[in-house]
Amino acid sequence: MLLSVKNLKMHYKTKMGYVRAVDSISFDLDSGEGLGIVGESGCGKTSVSMTILRLLPDNAEFKGGEVLFDNGNGEPVNLVSLAESEMRRYRWKGISMIFQAAMNSLNPVYKVGDQIVEAIQNHFPDTPTDVAKKKVAELFRLVGLDPTRMEQYPHQYSGGMKQRAVIAMALSCDPRIIIADEPTTALDVIVQDRILREIRAIQKKLNMAMIYISHDIAVIAEVSDRIAVMYAGKFVELADSVTIFKRPMHPYTYGLMHAFPSVTGKKVDLVTIPGEPPDLLAPPRGCRFYPRCPKGDKLCEEKDPEYVEVDKGHFLACHHPVQPGEVVQFNAE
Amino acid sequence: MLKFFSKRIVQIVILLFIYVTIVYWLMEAMPGSFTDKYLMNPKITPEIRQNLAKQFGLDKPAFTRYLYYMKNFLKLDLGISFSYFPKKVSSLIFERLPRTVFLFVTATLVSYILGYNLGKRAAWRRGKILDKTATFVGIVFWTIFLPLLAIFNIWLFGVILKILPLNQFINPNVWRETNLSAQNIFLKLLLNAFIFLVVMMISLIFAQRVKTVAAKRTIVLLSAVVTLSVSIILWTSTGLGIYALDIILHMVLPVFTLTLYSFAGSMLVMRDTMLEVVREDYVVTAKAKGLPDRVVRDKHAARNALLPLITNFVISLGFTLSGGIITETMFSWPGLGRAYLEALNSQDTPLLIGLLVFTGIFVLLAHLIADVLYAFLDPRIRY
Repeated sequence: MLLSVKNLKMHYKTKMGYVRAVDSISFDLDSGEGLGIVGESGCGKTSVSMTILRLLPDNAEFKGGEVLFDNGNGEPVNLVSLAESEMRRYRWKGISMIFQAAMNSLNPVYKVGDQIVEAIQNHFPDTPTDVAKKKVAELFRLVGLDPTRMEQYPHQYSGGMKQRAVIAMALSCDPRIIIADEPTTALDVIVQDRILREIRAIQKKLNMAMIYISHDIAVIAEVSDRIAVMYAGKFVELADSVTIFKRPMHPYTYGLMHAFPSVTGKKVDLVTIPGEPPDLLAPPRGCRFYPRCPKGDKLCEEKDPEYVEVDKGHFLACHHPVQPGEVVQFNAE
Repeated sequence: MLKFFSKRIVQIVILLFIYVTIVYWLMEAMPGSFTDKYLMNPKITPEIRQNLAKQFGLDKPAFTRYLYYMKNFLKLDLGISFSYFPKKVSSLIFERLPRTVFLFVTATLVSYILGYNLGKRAAWRRGKILDKTATFVGIVFWTIFLPLLAIFNIWLFGVILKILPLNQFINPNVWRETNLSAQNIFLKLLLNAFIFLVVMMISLIFAQRVKTVAAKRTIVLLSAVVTLSVSIILWTSTGLGIYALDIILHMVLPVFTLTLYSFAGSMLVMRDTMLEVVREDYVVTAKAKGLPDRVVRDKHAARNALLPLITNFVISLGFTLSGGIITETMFSWPGLGRAYLEALNSQDTPLLIGLLVFTGIFVLLAHLIADVLYAFLDPRIRY
């Protein structure tokens, strides 16, 4: 197993109390695999990736769990317990990241090429600059950018080009895992689609593992082998993409799957899930989806369902899973 | 670029004329005149005073005098000082300029370097002990009454500890045996400091090209040490070292006082912009790239937060040429600030206007330099 996250917990400390942004998250990731994490805004998706890479703000408190990363030589290392200076070596070379706001993740005062060379030389200090530049030129061609643009500054790039440059940067140290956090949110649908396909192709070509994070289930579906559905700081369901789409078991997943129209399928009424995600400062005592769930009952109110493997590779946290063929009625307001 | 410059220079010339006009009429609006000073002097009869006024052209209408002034100004002639008659205003200014420049540029530089470093660190470790202490101490000294701070420092270091000279800019006992002029030494010191700054600039640019932090530091430190030791050897071998040292010793206290008084200004600007920059995504990206904490702070965060500080610095460099009336008076430093006060007290209008115009020119030039530096530091800005 390349990456194995176990019971990861990270809370933000605020004046009003703890915000439980990441609450007992567990998943495994194999090399060459694409895992999608989908969820509403503010459900803690980005916090998961930031916790794995330990790029958290000062008020974040790590509350437990493990992030086991296999760096290729046998013993997996627990990233959580590493010293900061040790952790640095795993960032970018082990796990790199494509950030949510590619527009702003390039430093405006340095040439784009130099910023990528910097990453390479940081992890491979013996690389001469011209060799590193050659590598950057290669990466630029790989992501579909003109290598002469290396000598330009970020403001001379268009949005899509910046996104490509950021992808090239993420690939620069041959990482084993790339976390793509909303990699295409700021782009229009056409560019978005093209870039997603390219990311997917590069991932398959270089046999890297990827974690895609998005609120857009269509984007996730396009690139992931498996999909995790996240709700209010927890994973509620995780299964391969086909299962998630064809046979969702959690009412929330069911709602998501019926919340967008199918272009080719038959006409169905779209589902809207009433209510709002809970306040993570004081989440419901039992199941966090209970207040919005049409199937919720006394048990759901009292007891938080455990996140267990209900089928081979199908994880679920629900007391009353949706049965095959069942139609769940969300009473829309 | 060329178009921008020509446009800016035309702007500067227009501004300068407006500025000179305003300064002229403000001085004209001041009550009294140079001759009124002798009103109470029984030896100077009204006839003599009238004669004096006539000689200085004070009998002509104000507007005529303004036209004369402007005509002379166009010929780069700032006129003749009343109180130092028959010395020219420009020669008075140039006599005092090196002293003021050397003292205040040093003080500004020290205070900005301190402010930059403290502000950067305070923001990086926000809310920690360094942040709190630096902000508190900085604001205490920022709000203190400057003359009080000056007197306190003179008392502490000059009277109690007896390690620094009290005031003035040279020790007469040292200079008695020689016929060297202090001006000469000042100019040499200025040249030396200028060469030092240029060497440091070049080494900093050079240091940007090397990779590791250690190598960068070695280059900068090495060039500083080499230039310093070469200048020290030169000074001692020519036998002028003792005079230069005397001047430098006299500068320590005013520079220290000014730095203490003003570092909070640059520190708070740096801290504020830095606090905004550290929230930028590219700082997180830099950290995610696995760069060491210091590289993220200095190369990625501080470099972007530097821009407003540079503008402030260059513009305050323009203002240093006006000297500091309070500082120069407290430390009896015969610079331009003292000249202001003297000119004002003796109703020496040509000298006063000359000093103000001179300052104005440099502030305007400083703005131009700030614009150029901006384009140099921020690739997004192109003219």
